[in-house]
Amino acid sequence: MAAATCSRRAMLQKDAAALEAATASSGDDEAPEEVTFERAKAAAETERRRAGETARRDKALLKERRRRREELFKEQKKRKLLPENILEELTSGPRIDNDKLPNPTKEGEDVGDGSENKNEGNKRRRNKRKKPLAVRRKGRYMAVRLKDQDLTSQHQELAKDFVQNHLYGPGTNRITANQFFSFANKKSPVKKAAVQFVNKSWGAEKKQKAKQFKKRWMSTKMVSSI
Amino acid sequence: MGEFQVHRVRFFAYVPAGIRCLAHSARSDRLALARTDGALELYNFAANYFQEKGIPGHETRSIEALCWAAGDRLFGAGLSGDISEYDLEKLRVKYSLDGFGGPIWSLAADAHGTQLAVGCEDGSVKLFQILPDKIQFERSLDRQKGRILSLSWHPSGTRIAVGSIDLLRVFDVRSGHSIQRILVDRCLQGPQSRECVVWSVAFLSDGTIVSADSAGKVQFWDSEKGTLLETHPVSSSAVLSLAVCETEDSIVVGTSEGAVYQFQLLPLKWGSAESQWVRTKPFQHHTHDVRAVAHSATALISGGLDAQLVIRPLMEKVHGKSYDAALRKFTYPHRRLVSCAKKARLLLFQFPQHLELWKLGATSATGKDGDVLPVSRAPEHLLQLKSKGPEHICCSCVSPCGSWVAYSTASRFHLHRVRYENDRVSIKRVAAMPKLQGSAHQLLCSADSSRLLVASDQGSVHILELLEPGGCRHLQTLRPNSESMEAVYLLAVSADGDWLAAAGGDWAINIYSLRHFKPHCTVPAYNCAVTALAIHPVTNNLVIAHSDQQVFEFSIPSREYTAWSRKVQQHGLHRGWLERDTPITHITFNPKEPAHILLHDTHMFCILDKSLPLPDAATSLMNQITLKQLSEKARRGHVHAFKICKKYRPLLFMELLDEGSLVVVERPVMDIKTQLPPPVQQKKFGT
Repeated sequence: MAAATCSRRAMLQKDAAALEAATASSGDDEAPEEVTFERAKAAAETERRRAGETARRDKALLKERRRRREELFKEQKKRKLLPENILEELTSGPRIDNDKLPNPTKEGEDVGDGSENKNEGNKRRRNKRKKPLAVRRKGRYMAVRLKDQDLTSQHQELAKDFVQNHLYGPGTNRITANQFFSFANKKSPVKKAAVQFVNKSWGAEKKQKAKQFKKRWMSTKMVSSI
Repeated sequence: MGEFQVHRVRFFAYVPAGIRCLAHSARSDRLALARTDGALELYNFAANYFQEKGIPGHETRSIEALCWAAGDRLFGAGLSGDISEYDLEKLRVKYSLDGFGGPIWSLAADAHGTQLAVGCEDGSVKLFQILPDKIQFERSLDRQKGRILSLSWHPSGTRIAVGSIDLLRVFDVRSGHSIQRILVDRCLQGPQSRECVVWSVAFLSDGTIVSADSAGKVQFWDSEKGTLLETHPVSSSAVLSLAVCETEDSIVVGTSEGAVYQFQLLPLKWGSAESQWVRTKPFQHHTHDVRAVAHSATALISGGLDAQLVIRPLMEKVHGKSYDAALRKFTYPHRRLVSCAKKARLLLFQFPQHLELWKLGATSATGKDGDVLPVSRAPEHLLQLKSKGPEHICCSCVSPCGSWVAYSTASRFHLHRVRYENDRVSIKRVAAMPKLQGSAHQLLCSADSSRLLVASDQGSVHILELLEPGGCRHLQTLRPNSESMEAVYLLAVSADGDWLAAAGGDWAINIYSLRHFKPHCTVPAYNCAVTALAIHPVTNNLVIAHSDQQVFEFSIPSREYTAWSRKVQQHGLHRGWLERDTPITHITFNPKEPAHILLHDTHMFCILDKSLPLPDAATSLMNQITLKQLSEKARRGHVHAFKICKKYRPLLFMELLDEGSLVVVERPVMDIKTQLPPPVQQKKFGT
């Protein structure tokens, strides 16, 4: 939104500059040119139309670009191709550190595994191939065909979704633990504390949305008041 | 009772995984149980329902179905599409075989134990031949549309009934063709569009098929004609599981609402030959979905997504109103998940995929008996150690000085050196680990933190020496004199570091001398599982707790039971003690009071005072509250050896720290239940 207002403002400035240029050029001529009212009107109209068109085009371009980026992010999110820090790196610069690429078959620790490696064969390989693989920390891996892996995991996902849908999907009449266990409290003569107290982490998404909405609203108000 | 400053710890956020499937073996009287995280547990009903074995879970290997076949061989299959056989001696997967039919939903062995049938996602039923040391693909029955969610063999082994979405099928095993196709009604009420999933089927020997479906019906069908015999609407939500007893006169079903119902085949009139299935007993022991039920000869067994295993003995099958007829509920594991660094006052909590290291809080206030003291320094979460890879952690330990943390998954063993420098914690993994044979099933550090003992396969125990500043060396591997195939699951080391006791899956307790690295003696065999072991720091007596609640004391130097232990056996333990339903999971000692043994199970904590007389049948076992009200003089006449405290429960761990302070780790059931997936709403009148 802010970008759009910005571009609009830029356009206004551009128009003003053009107008100024026109007046200046007319000022330079000693004898003022005869301009009929119709012609001037037509010129002004074409000018206005052109300005409107450029603005529209800019807007469309911007929209398109934004849409494409959104799509890319959505896809990225869906497929979970790379972890966030890598994405960050990809977007910030074209250079990729080899050792930061995640190795899916690697086993071990995230803390304190040093770069030393006891595997003899690996050492030899490391010496042979100089630069790009020298930073790879572990040589313990096994080769798998990713195609098969994908297919089985996809089947597994589908099967899990089926169970999830049938046990917890719409129409299964599920309620939260808090509601479920509060029934007993309701009827018992000794009233106890609630099963769960309201947690500040609950409804984080809704809160975030509300915050953003407020921000947006404020910004639109500010622009209109200017 | 003795006074302690008690650290009451409730920050162990342990949530057990729900129970996915159960398989009861009548032959060995054992129950195999698989959880939703892929962990497998084995309960021995003969040994007072003790969880004697466990195979840790795996991220990608979920278990959907279990079955016993060909004697005591256990097979499992899951959504990864593999059929596995489990090695119950080495506690791991023996081998797995791809079914090539996509995720597997159901698995059943025929009555002779020669064939396995699996029902796959792609709609095929595959038969596997059970060979002595492997299984082999035999053939596939005609493939049909729709996933096969449940299957059951006819006891003769010629037919298989299969449950799919909206329909049941009957296959002829010899020809492999589908000979009957039975459509199942969709929901009784609600939208008709919702498909009806047949979650479970059973094929009875008279040709009747019993089905349990997601519309909440239990239906009986004639397999020859394909007609409906009876419908029993059981629940407004789904019926998820069904099991038939061996005599085929009783059926147990489990529903989404957490209720379990028994159906019985009863004669219509007294003495008439005609009989009918009647819904007889409802039980509501679970709050969440019951996804697995089993029927033993005398009891209904149900396991829910609330992680509870409930064993309900049937009154008509159990003779007399004895302790055998009592209801059993298991929520907490019979294994230790917490380890404590006594000197450094640290607690290490074991989760399936990570470990947490906490520093205990402290108080500067003092008070009298029963006061709750304010905490001046809050407990601190020092470290979270995540294990990479799909395997779950099977055991962990922290050294008494707190500077070493070790844990093991099924295939790998990890050791870390932890350093504490003015409020900062740094951790470094010991990279150069010696290659050990077999996987680790239990870890223990010696009292001076110089040695790490690793319990392994075939009764062996590896001894590693911990070296500063962060190294480790393999010293020796101890093996028992007699050949044992079972893995060691309990270890105890003496405070002076000279003796080691190891209990294996065959319930034999071997004692080794750590000074000479050789076997010292074995404890006389006792025919019940060992649940806890500990060696007294002063007298070097080994205290053994068995799952039938017997407690023995064995003198290691003189290689015999102590006089006190003999006295206990002659006198007999109190009935109240013997009828507790959870095993003792940890034993510890008070160095200042050598006559005291501190033990705990899930529901109580007990100080066993050897210097006091044993209680006889007339006195009450839990008399601490009444004793408190008596005068000093009157009290002396009533005290007995068992001083039991039930204030802290459910108790996962208890350890005596120095200077008379005690740490207890509790995990209330309600805290677990609120973390579980949402339950089904139940209409209650008047709410």
